[in-house]
Amino acid sequence: MLLAIDSSAGTSAAVFSGNKLLSKLLFEDPFGHAENIGEAISQALSEAGISASELEAVAIGRGPAPYTGLRVGMAAGISLARTLKLDLHGVMVLDAIAHGVKGNVVVTTDAKRGELFYARYQDGEKVSGPTVISPSELMIPEGHQHLTQSSDAEAVGRYAIAALAKGVDLSDVSALYLRSADVSPSKGKRVSG
Amino acid sequence: MEIRELRLEDLPVLMELERSLFGTESWLESSMKAELTNPNTHYLGVFDPDLVGYAGLSSVPASFSADIQTIGVRQSEQGKGLGRKLMELLMKKALALGAEQVLLEVKADNDSAIALYKSLGFEQIDLRKRYYQPSGTDALVMRAKIRQPIVLGIESSCDETGVGIVQGNRLLANALASSMDEHAKYGGVVPEVAARAHLESIGQVLDKALLEAGISIDKVDAIAVANGPGLAGALMVGIGAAKGLAVAHNLPIYAVNHLVGHVGADVLERGSVQLPTIALLVSGGHTSLLLVRDLLEDVELLGETIDDAAGEAFDKVARVLGLPYPGGPQIDKLALTGNPKAIRFPRGLTLPKDMEKHRYNFSFSGLKTAVARHVEKAEDQGLELNHADVAASFREAVVDVLISKAVAACKAHGVNRLLLGGGVVANARLREYAQEVCDQEGIELRIPRFSLCTDNGAMIASLGAQLIMNGRKPSSLGFSAESTLDVTEVQAS
Repeated sequence: MLLAIDSSAGTSAAVFSGNKLLSKLLFEDPFGHAENIGEAISQALSEAGISASELEAVAIGRGPAPYTGLRVGMAAGISLARTLKLDLHGVMVLDAIAHGVKGNVVVTTDAKRGELFYARYQDGEKVSGPTVISPSELMIPEGHQHLTQSSDAEAVGRYAIAALAKGVDLSDVSALYLRSADVSPSKGKRVSG
Repeated sequence: MEIRELRLEDLPVLMELERSLFGTESWLESSMKAELTNPNTHYLGVFDPDLVGYAGLSSVPASFSADIQTIGVRQSEQGKGLGRKLMELLMKKALALGAEQVLLEVKADNDSAIALYKSLGFEQIDLRKRYYQPSGTDALVMRAKIRQPIVLGIESSCDETGVGIVQGNRLLANALASSMDEHAKYGGVVPEVAARAHLESIGQVLDKALLEAGISIDKVDAIAVANGPGLAGALMVGIGAAKGLAVAHNLPIYAVNHLVGHVGADVLERGSVQLPTIALLVSGGHTSLLLVRDLLEDVELLGETIDDAAGEAFDKVARVLGLPYPGGPQIDKLALTGNPKAIRFPRGLTLPKDMEKHRYNFSFSGLKTAVARHVEKAEDQGLELNHADVAASFREAVVDVLISKAVAACKAHGVNRLLLGGGVVANARLREYAQEVCDQEGIELRIPRFSLCTDNGAMIASLGAQLIMNGRKPSSLGFSAESTLDVTEVQAS
């Protein structure tokens, strides 16, 4: 049993048994992560008809995504996996979006501040990215499909199951910010003229 | 029928019933009076409409133990369950007070009372020969154990990631990770840097707390988390982790107020917060003056800073003086050799004109600017600047305003207790001056140990435990982070 959690866009949780999706809960509110994370996980478990103690692994979406909401789902996944002593897998959410899509694909998601998170794939395998670009830099090469949907727990879970089966290393569970904390040390200004 | 706490004015009727029940072995009126006025005893009376039953409990804070002092029900009312009702209420009170056991003595020949106590979980642990005089009857000493709730609390409102574990009023663990070093190069707490650091350390701090407490997560009865006030992005990491734990282990969750948590920290030191009290909470994020009449029911904000927090002022002035972050310890050290009266820096919001609107509010931004001006003027004129004097004079101005307003609040509200909390309590001069003024004014000063003054998870766990011990229901799972949470909101619904 695998629990997938993703708060990179909305707040969602999904439970898988093997490859089979047993339940999925999605709260779309892009600002309600802290409010909804508990219900998302709790309801996903109860709809799947299992208790948390029956879980074997947890997969979390690790971004790139707007940070504040992303961290809520990650923190929940970390505390849950750690105290239930479960394996914790980190999924780059653009990988999850491109997963299972044949051919050449460009994935972009909203990075806020007028920017996009970007990655390019061929048959689900990453060719370049992830990176942050401005919309003016966005080029969809010929013959590429452009995916703009956001990730959710189902996508994260499906990717994790497939990737783990292929032996892909998902052990990095740190948040993928792709931007610095956006501050520069203050020089200190004079107060008297 | 009414059951209520007995007061001193109930003494005559109480003595009348006591004498009718216990005759020559009844307590002296002076003893009973002492019982009713002792702050550590709790007496209940059943009125129908006259007094028909009473019982008393005694528990010295931080003793983790309580005693049933006495219990009596008028002969005509016996056998109706009144004794049981009183005992149940006192056991509930013992739980709320943090007692881990309740002791009592009972006459060895009082079969019905012994049966009642046994049914309430009491077991005989000792026999005292000829305890009751003059009859010479033996006493059984009985004990009931109380399992206090184990609560794990998470704090992430600013730059400290804290996970604490308490059992009732007992501190089991207080694990912490701080991102202070990461903020040093910015000269102050950067919210995004703090939030990132919380996510990186929450897992380890959680493990550390459980290890320190020597328990596994399945021994935990409830989760508590600070949901405000504080930095929203930082709070949300703690909330995410707390909800993950609650769902994973099917535990109730209590979302509690960070500032009230600071006040409640003293429970872990003394077994209770002596009330009422004025509380002065000073940190890099807050400067708040509270009047606390009841930790869970009645916390009033008297005043707070209208611009910078006191700790922030220390950081900013440290930067003006070319000292590293965090500024408090640096200025404290430099001030040691300086003259606090060398420069008369302004005391914000202390002028008569400020008293109406800002009697208990604070302002430190003008002070910071005054220090900067002083330094710049000396530099511009090529004068040699005595940094130690500047540091000492600045520190004196901050400490003077903080303590003067806190003491004024004590006097105005007739409250002779002052509790300090928050990271700025580390400041040596603040503690020293507070003690000096409180001694002069006859105010009892409380400063919990430093690890309970700074932001920490134990105080959050402790406030959560207090809520449980007093029978409060958990918060719903859908609560949010509230960066400007009011102090009156002790718990999110």
